[in-house]
Amino acid sequence: MQHAETTQGTPFLEARHIGKRYGGLHAVRDVNLSIYPGEVIGIVGDNGAGKSTFIKMLAGDHQPTSGELLIEGKPVRFAHPRDAKQAQIETIYQDLALCENLSVMDNIFLGHELTRNPVLRLLRRSKMHIESRVLLDDLGIGIPSTHELVVNLSGGQRQATALARVAKAGAKLIILDEPSAALGVRETRALLDLILRFRSQGKSILVISHEMRDVFEITDRIAIFKRGELIAIKRTKETTPDEIVSLIIRGRQ
Amino acid sequence: MTQSVTQPDRNAGGFNLFSFARSQEGVVVFLLVALMIVVAVFSAASPYFFDVRNGMNIGRAISIIGIASAFTTLLMIAGGLDLSIGAVMNAAGVVAAMVLTQTGLGVGGAILAAVAVGALVGWVNGMFIAKLGINPLIMTIAMQFVVRGLTLGFSASASKVIVDPTFLAIGQSYFHLGPLAIPAPLLWMLLAMLVLWFVLRFTLFGKYVYAVGGKASACRRAGINVNVITIQLYMLSGIGAALAGVVLAAIQGAGIPYGAGSELSVISAVILGGVSLAGGVGLIEGTLVAVLLVGVLKNGMTLMGISSVFQMVAEGLVLVGAVTLDRLKRRL
Ligand SMILES: Nc1ncnc2c1ncn2[C@@H]1O[C@H](COP(=O)(O)OP(=O)(O)OP(=O)(O)O)[C@@H](O)[C@H]1O
Ligand SMILES: [Mg+2]
Repeated sequence: MQHAETTQGTPFLEARHIGKRYGGLHAVRDVNLSIYPGEVIGIVGDNGAGKSTFIKMLAGDHQPTSGELLIEGKPVRFAHPRDAKQAQIETIYQDLALCENLSVMDNIFLGHELTRNPVLRLLRRSKMHIESRVLLDDLGIGIPSTHELVVNLSGGQRQATALARVAKAGAKLIILDEPSAALGVRETRALLDLILRFRSQGKSILVISHEMRDVFEITDRIAIFKRGELIAIKRTKETTPDEIVSLIIRGRQ
Repeated sequence: MTQSVTQPDRNAGGFNLFSFARSQEGVVVFLLVALMIVVAVFSAASPYFFDVRNGMNIGRAISIIGIASAFTTLLMIAGGLDLSIGAVMNAAGVVAAMVLTQTGLGVGGAILAAVAVGALVGWVNGMFIAKLGINPLIMTIAMQFVVRGLTLGFSASASKVIVDPTFLAIGQSYFHLGPLAIPAPLLWMLLAMLVLWFVLRFTLFGKYVYAVGGKASACRRAGINVNVITIQLYMLSGIGAALAGVVLAAIQGAGIPYGAGSELSVISAVILGGVSLAGGVGLIEGTLVAVLLVGVLKNGMTLMGISSVFQMVAEGLVLVGAVTLDRLKRRL
């Protein structure tokens, strides 16, 4: 496995020989990847290359069938997404994972609600609405009301809601599975700025994208997946979109 | 020109009739209107209908279904389904009666034992459904058989007569409020609904009930322990059925092991009240009005001399009508 090394120190997260089988299908095979603090890694590859399956294992949503994960050098097992969250990993999934019957605010705070009274755990709705509003405005996200049900939102607004949720959670590793697929020009800009802001705060970002321009603007390294394998990792500064596209299509020469 | 990012809150002003009609609050208002029409029709048709005493009779008649439906409303909003309710009701009545007559644990012990039975059945349901992914319909029907069989076995298929006056008071006493004599069962039902309304509306658990019904996988990914919530909801449904069974035994003066299961009346009331079988929407208020509507219909038809056979048909037709309207209004 050729690593475009020079990244120094202990990685925040390290995947060692990670694999995932679905019955007979080898969706991810023997992936080795280290993610360092303050680094943005782009993951690219064809449809069905195993990108989402790979990040779901980092997010604790799926369990690997082989290999191991290390957080700051220590082996971990994620049996539930909660475990990954406790390890400071936050994820936006490709299908967004929103409750459409709930409001924008309810979704932004899902799993992190503000409550009062430790026994009754009463929701502090107005405080959460105000904080959601501030958060959305801060991100430059165009959602008219935090009271709006997600079912009434556009695809881009839903993505923005998922983004706000992750921005709020404040993790050390942020995983984004095709976060800009439905975003408009202004919202995509806001997303890229947010990712760069995260990086300047020393967070690690793993972003799956098909948008070569975005990938080249924000990433430090690019990982290319093909048929479940990580076939190459390139430093963004030392490669070109043509080379990446050729790797995606033709694989390793 | 600069544009402020903060836009006015769309919910703050304006009122959209169509979106209201589609909302869960809209369902409740619609049911209330239907209830008022039915009351007006029966009042005109029968001189005995619009009367405080008759109103209280209706209140007592609906209380058993009302208590059980209030609890199972939460489960169904979360996308669950419990068909073991009727069997648990009978079991709870028999257990309460047997604890009263065969132990010295008293009324408190009898109620606790009944509630424990309901909680245990709910826990078993919840464990299999949440942890093993068994279909709720199959699991709770299976439990219905298990519980019914055990109840018949333990009671030797005989009714257990209850004579303890304190226990009987649970079902047969009245609370006097000025000139009004409110039957105790009606009060228990309203109390249960008030507590559960509060839980659904104001607590974190209430939010998770809706969230799990909306998209359980999203809740799991948000770090919420969906399995625990599911198990708790099946336990609540079982406890609600047990409480209803206790009140029923107190009204009847006996724990009857072979009573007809009322789970379908309970579930149809919840659906009539606006809870979708897919989960995610519904209100306790809806269940309350639906239970009232069914109770008023039955009572009015009885007063008008309509046979109970046709009343069953009418109850079914009301449910079909309600779910049909529910489908149609989505096209608004
Ligand atoms: N839960 C599952 N059960 C069985 N097979 C699965 C499951 N999830 C994914 N797969 C299979 O694993 C392979 C990799 O899928 P994955 O979603 O990881 O691809 P991807 O790289 O994210 O593609 P895309 O760019 O379309 O999102 C595919 O062949 C897919 O059909
Ligand atoms: Mg994918």
